Amino acid sequence: MNPRLTRQELLRRGAAGGALLAFPSLLAACGGGDGGSESSGELKDVLNFENWPYYMDTKETRTAAGLTGPTTLEQFDQEKGIKVNYYEGIDSNDGYFAKIQGQLSQGQGIGRDIIVATDNSQFPSLYVSEEYVQKLDKSLIPNFANLIDAQQSPGFDPDRSYSLPWLTGIDGIGWNEELTGGPVTSMTQLFTDPKLKGKVTLLTEMADTLGLVLIDNGDDPTDVSDEAFDRAIKSVQDALDAGQILKFTGNDYGPPLARGDFAACVAWSGDLAQLVLENENLKWAVPEKGGIIWTDNMFIPLGGSVPTASTYMNFVYDPKIAAQIALGTGYISSVKGVKDEALKLDPKAGSNELVFPSDQTLANLHMNDPNMVSNADFITTWQSVKGQ
Amino acid sequence: MTTAVETITPRSRVGVAARTWGFVKRHALTVYALLAVVYLILPIAVVILFSFNAPKSNFNYVWQGFTLDNWITWDEPLGISDAVVTSLEVGFLATIVATALGTLIALAIVRHRFRGRGATNLLVFLPMSTPEIVLGASLLTLFINTTAVFQLGFVTIFIAHVMFIVSFVVVTVKARLIGFDRHLEEAAMDLGANEVTTFRKVTFPLIAPAMLAAALLGFALSIDDFVITYFNAGSQTQTFPLYVWVTAQRALPPQINVVASAIFLVAIALALGNVFWQYRTAKRSQGAT
Amino acid sequence: MGSFFHQHPRLTPYLLLLPGMAWLGFFFLIPLGYLGYQSLESGTYGNFEFTWEFSNFTNAFTDYREQLFRSFLYAGVATTVALLLSYPLVYWIAFRAGPWRNLFLLFIVAPFFVTYLVRTLAWLSILNDQGPVIGFLRDIHVLGADEGLLYSTFAVIAGITYNFFPFMALPLYVSLEQIDPRLLEAAKDLYASSTQAFLRVTLPLSAPGIVAGTLLTFIPAAGDFINAALLGTTQQTMIGNVIQAKFLTSLDYPTAASLSFILMAMILVALLVYARVVGTEKLTG
Repeated sequence: MNPRLTRQELLRRGAAGGALLAFPSLLAACGGGDGGSESSGELKDVLNFENWPYYMDTKETRTAAGLTGPTTLEQFDQEKGIKVNYYEGIDSNDGYFAKIQGQLSQGQGIGRDIIVATDNSQFPSLYVSEEYVQKLDKSLIPNFANLIDAQQSPGFDPDRSYSLPWLTGIDGIGWNEELTGGPVTSMTQLFTDPKLKGKVTLLTEMADTLGLVLIDNGDDPTDVSDEAFDRAIKSVQDALDAGQILKFTGNDYGPPLARGDFAACVAWSGDLAQLVLENENLKWAVPEKGGIIWTDNMFIPLGGSVPTASTYMNFVYDPKIAAQIALGTGYISSVKGVKDEALKLDPKAGSNELVFPSDQTLANLHMNDPNMVSNADFITTWQSVKGQ
Repeated sequence: MTTAVETITPRSRVGVAARTWGFVKRHALTVYALLAVVYLILPIAVVILFSFNAPKSNFNYVWQGFTLDNWITWDEPLGISDAVVTSLEVGFLATIVATALGTLIALAIVRHRFRGRGATNLLVFLPMSTPEIVLGASLLTLFINTTAVFQLGFVTIFIAHVMFIVSFVVVTVKARLIGFDRHLEEAAMDLGANEVTTFRKVTFPLIAPAMLAAALLGFALSIDDFVITYFNAGSQTQTFPLYVWVTAQRALPPQINVVASAIFLVAIALALGNVFWQYRTAKRSQGAT
Repeated sequence: MGSFFHQHPRLTPYLLLLPGMAWLGFFFLIPLGYLGYQSLESGTYGNFEFTWEFSNFTNAFTDYREQLFRSFLYAGVATTVALLLSYPLVYWIAFRAGPWRNLFLLFIVAPFFVTYLVRTLAWLSILNDQGPVIGFLRDIHVLGADEGLLYSTFAVIAGITYNFFPFMALPLYVSLEQIDPRLLEAAKDLYASSTQAFLRVTLPLSAPGIVAGTLLTFIPAAGDFINAALLGTTQQTMIGNVIQAKFLTSLDYPTAASLSFILMAMILVALLVYARVVGTEKLTG
């Protein structure tokens, strides 16, 4: 092949390359699809609900919790005649967002009426600010009044126009007592105890890990200043440099912890309840200085049916239903009166502080600052700590 | 080979050490091959073992006790059978199409000199150099902008898989075509066969093992793909790797082990059947001579 | 139809290429063009603007040089190990396995049927600190009393090697399988020892397979992220992890896109160097 490009060839290739660059933007311009939002409108007889796995009561979990009768989804069908197609496709907030944001940005529906996102990530704010979600029809949600006070006005949705909490969990410290020799009660201990050197893991999610570190440093996790953030980062970086931290894990820390790959880690309340059945040396506790509480919220994406979704939300905000869901999943509900209902159904389970926390317990738990999780600089700094 | 000059050493003089060494040399390769297979299959053995486990919790990694329950209730987890069926269907279809397309490209590159040959050769390497996450996401953008033609679902997964498998087929088949002895084809054409007949009766049978190897690789790629499928599956379709990934975020039910073991065992059974069939055809041709 | 090819020999290559390249052209090049467009954007999510932002490339390269080179190192080591491990196995399958060869080829790809996550979790159980393998290695003092194999550079490279094994083995098989055993007989007839026969007959004839296997292993391995994510620590992050994080968490699509192009460019450069070293005819015939 002739190595020297003639002028004609150069022009031709340049034009081709330019066309290649221009073509996609033309595509983007003529996009818009035909799946436009059919927001208001009639009640449908099918609800498409996308959720995290293990986040709904099932026959097995109900039996284990001492509940009888059909699942809440089946009860909804019986009561309202609306069948729920329940999907457990949310593996992570960021992964799921990446998957659906393209269609939502073009105004296309994604085939779902309800999706769920965690408030300790940037995504609830993004869903609202980018207008990827629709407003609830509160006229169809009289049970809205049952929403607990603490959840009335989150940073990403101050009027609760777009979302309602689904379930809540707690970040704490999990450890393998056989390997640690005793309880692990603070992040400081995680970071400095020589017995734990190289046997500690942290969660990759910034809000989970840094939230606990902020509390440990005496800072307020609900309102994070730049200095407080830097202090928290420094604590983590120092521990990393000292070889104290083995690695950052996603949600899959359970089996390695139980197997003994590491001795202690940041962990959620729900997971450890299961793991203890496999290895009774596993323990979990909220750090003495305080823990972080996070909440998954229901949203109605573009293209979803607002009346149908709102009807479902109203259904699950009945304390009787909410109690069953909490008992059947092991996570905390945001519905008033849920503890009383739970005690009626199963006195023992109803007094589980981790699923039905008392006000005293709640006083030691804090939410993340929504500004922190959406702050691009904070995110970049956190990523570089993790080597990304 | 002995010559008249060589003396014949009595067997007892050869010595045990030398004989053992001869034995080792002859069989070392076989032993190595078996060890290599153990290395490859060891995790699968663990997977099969734990499909019979009776875990006390959602997590399945400590041996608690033997049970057949998981195999009986294999379909219990929501959506698992659909995911497996979709994976297999996409796998077979995409492999067949990609193998055909890739073989044609390989033939063109190796056997013909044409303008753009070098560029084509390089272009083939681009899809496998592109990180899957941006490739998958960009392909999704294409599909989103062409919803009149492409609805997210089985079809888009199929399209995506063919796209990234083709390159692997091209490179694999090329390895066979380079150094292919063209004299056989020339002889066939001298005897009056045209291009198509020559291909059918001479070329194709000779490159078939390479195409099979490429197809095997392609199928493995398709059935294991996660990232590209994640972005292009849409809201209604699930493949097995996607299913595993999502459930793994909390805990993998033992039924996942059951399904994975079943796929493996069926494949092995088919291969064993193939061995048996080859023995029989070999025997028959021996008997015929 | 045969006479058509006979009368239009010049068209033949283009017709052969057409279906496959059309597929790639539409479903790969167009998305790639879009990726190129993204790589020259600037701004934040929701407000990206096309500004011919070439600084994305220079910044990305400077910031993530370490991960880029680390990826090439890991991929290179894994490819070499895969070649050394698979060659004897594939040789045995091609020359000694007889009717069992298809079964053994299946064994090579079988790990892929159980999905990446399942097989990696199985390895994690086999190799975990409390398990028998590590216990044994500690007993024979290959490992210190407190040492393990997981969550280390060794684990990441071992993971890449294991997971890309078929990509090396199958192309190798393709070229070894076609070697006529009579060539080896002839060599022996000419007084060659088995070693000489191997080095002078088998090895050169398998060169196209070695090249193909090397490329099919190295190139995708360089962009891999999942082995480093599951088996490594922050010291082992590869460029794939960075691109993943930029895309998913930082929502920094321009940087993710430009890093992808930088990776592709580096791979192409490595490819051209490799082609020069082994001779381009091994790549094109």
